[in-house]
Amino acid sequence: MSFTRMMEGNEAAAWGAKLARAEVVPAYPITPQTELISNIATLIAEGTMKAEYIKVEGEHTAMAAAVGASVAGARVFTASSSQGIAFMEEALWQPPGRRLPIVMCMVNRTMGPLGGLRPDHTDSLLQRDLGWIQLYCENSQEALDTILMGYKVGENKDIYLPVAVCYDGYFVSATATPTTVPDQALVDEWLPPYKHEWYSLIPGEFKMPQPQSFVKMRMGLEEAHQRAKKVIEAVDKDYRKRFGRGYDGLLEEYNCEGAEAVIMTMGSMTGTARDVVDIMRAKGKKIGLIKMRGFRPFPTEELQRIAPKYKALAVVDRNNSFGSAGGGIVSMEVARALYSVPDRPLLLNFHVGLSGTDVTMRQIEYMCKEALKAAETGKVKKVVDWVEAHDLGEVM
Amino acid sequence: MINEQFDKRYNDTLIQGGTQCCPGCGGPLFWRMALEVLGPETIVYGDGPCAMCALRNIKVPFFAIHFSFIADGATGISAAMKVKGREDITIVSSAGDGATGDISFGKVSAAAERNENIIQICIDNEAYMNTGIQKSGLTPFGAWTTTTPTGKESNKKDIPLIIAAHKVPYVATASIAYPRDLQAKLRKAKDIKGFKYIHVIIPCPTGWRFDPAKAVEVTRLGVDTWTWPLYEVEEGVLKMSRKPEQKPVTEYLKAQGRFRGLKDEQVEHIQAEVDERRKNLLAQEGKSLTL
Repeated sequence: MSFTRMMEGNEAAAWGAKLARAEVVPAYPITPQTELISNIATLIAEGTMKAEYIKVEGEHTAMAAAVGASVAGARVFTASSSQGIAFMEEALWQPPGRRLPIVMCMVNRTMGPLGGLRPDHTDSLLQRDLGWIQLYCENSQEALDTILMGYKVGENKDIYLPVAVCYDGYFVSATATPTTVPDQALVDEWLPPYKHEWYSLIPGEFKMPQPQSFVKMRMGLEEAHQRAKKVIEAVDKDYRKRFGRGYDGLLEEYNCEGAEAVIMTMGSMTGTARDVVDIMRAKGKKIGLIKMRGFRPFPTEELQRIAPKYKALAVVDRNNSFGSAGGGIVSMEVARALYSVPDRPLLLNFHVGLSGTDVTMRQIEYMCKEALKAAETGKVKKVVDWVEAHDLGEVM
Repeated sequence: MINEQFDKRYNDTLIQGGTQCCPGCGGPLFWRMALEVLGPETIVYGDGPCAMCALRNIKVPFFAIHFSFIADGATGISAAMKVKGREDITIVSSAGDGATGDISFGKVSAAAERNENIIQICIDNEAYMNTGIQKSGLTPFGAWTTTTPTGKESNKKDIPLIIAAHKVPYVATASIAYPRDLQAKLRKAKDIKGFKYIHVIIPCPTGWRFDPAKAVEVTRLGVDTWTWPLYEVEEGVLKMSRKPEQKPVTEYLKAQGRFRGLKDEQVEHIQAEVDERRKNLLAQEGKSLTL
């Protein structure tokens, strides 16, 4: 039976893994991911979930065991954060290269040194070039739903890609929001058991793909990502039809009608941005919001299609790429995508919320106002702006 | 008729001819002996010896990542086979000495601690041979390698006894010079549930510097001088598999170019160490190693 209650992101994600009937879960605890795997351990212990939970000795082994189990034909789920993801990186290359549809939660946390335990997106964005699909979630419900969609997309035989379901530590992982857990029978009907057509380790049925060349393997990976764009959208629509919720695929335009400037956010800050945009709209400001949900595959064409409607686009980066001078990782990607568009909007880039500092309504209002100013004057005062350097006064 | 017999024998052997291994390499020899016992209902995961030269030619399902990935993938495969109700399939995790003793040591130790239902094999040729003879943690004292041009200054890590300290069901040492003993140990391991560890010494004429034709001979000297004693630890209890009359260690050392630079006092040190180990093993025989 479906039920709804207040649920932290980590609990919702555990339910996602359970509903997907993940069969093998190799995982190692790290703050702020820990409650996700301890919730899975509880679900298994009480008999709600049937899976082999391998209590590995580190993240490198977690992903390697995930690869072994996936090749051997099991549906695999795992999760990590920050230093754990970095330690895992050697192994993280395996699932995309071998085209294994493992789903992993990257519970975002800043990287050390001196970063602390709170979230920014640098940890998962550092893995952007590996070939994983990366979807960023705003709240508990979206995390749960995206895990289910992740398996549906990744296990599509035209795709066969691993999926990282990213959500902010604490702001999502440990914040309870109303979450609906769909009916297991309905999920079973929608998500058939995992069967990889390329692999079998069973003696007598042994199958292992042998790519013709390294370059062809790499090209195949890129092509799968390009095909995945449509599949992610289609799965999202199908999910909405079946379960009553959807997330508009890779990009969501929120309150953008007639907007002259838009602000682009990723992850938990999107919820705050929705409120600020609503308030400013009520005051007659022509501001809108774009939520970047899918970072890999990058929604290049969709961005090129929608961006010319606006005069200014403010990209909010909760990450760093030191020495780039061009701002954060998201903004560089957006600039790259829009470079060939003649009537592209002016670009502004804001760094905010690094190492989990609050992204306040006042800060979002500031960024929106700067974007509106640029739209009005046709000039960008400061291309890259560290919002926390400004004293923005009281809470909005 | 003879051709047919030859073909049948060739087809039934679970390792194909024409490996890329050096002449005299113990790797293909080991896998032929091992797969004769393990049989076709086996999945092999991992590396070793010398990357995957020999393993590429085996005829059972085989999967590998890199040598920094030992026991981990086998853990995943074993879990997958459990959920699929195929625990009848033997899961073998293989690695060379550098992988087992150095870079993946933590992984092997953790799989032992979790008592994963796998046979973990260390195929020990006592150096990183694939990259061209570099010292590993399992290179013996005094041996020349390209990174220890004047001989290794520290001792060989005693992995089998370290694994025995994990209190796993079965640990054994083996040598390709004693095939029946090696096969008996694998046969036993196949029927035990939980973590089984078999540490097998194989010759590397290229790295040990001797005539490939003498591969088995030299390896046998390792056992007969007690440099590489054969034993098993079953449920914590030590049992010697062979108690050969002890030959002087110089016979083993002199057969190999890698020990050419040893000074007399170093040879004495090695002999003293071997004597000590022999004494300790014999004293512990039949007793539980559990502290």
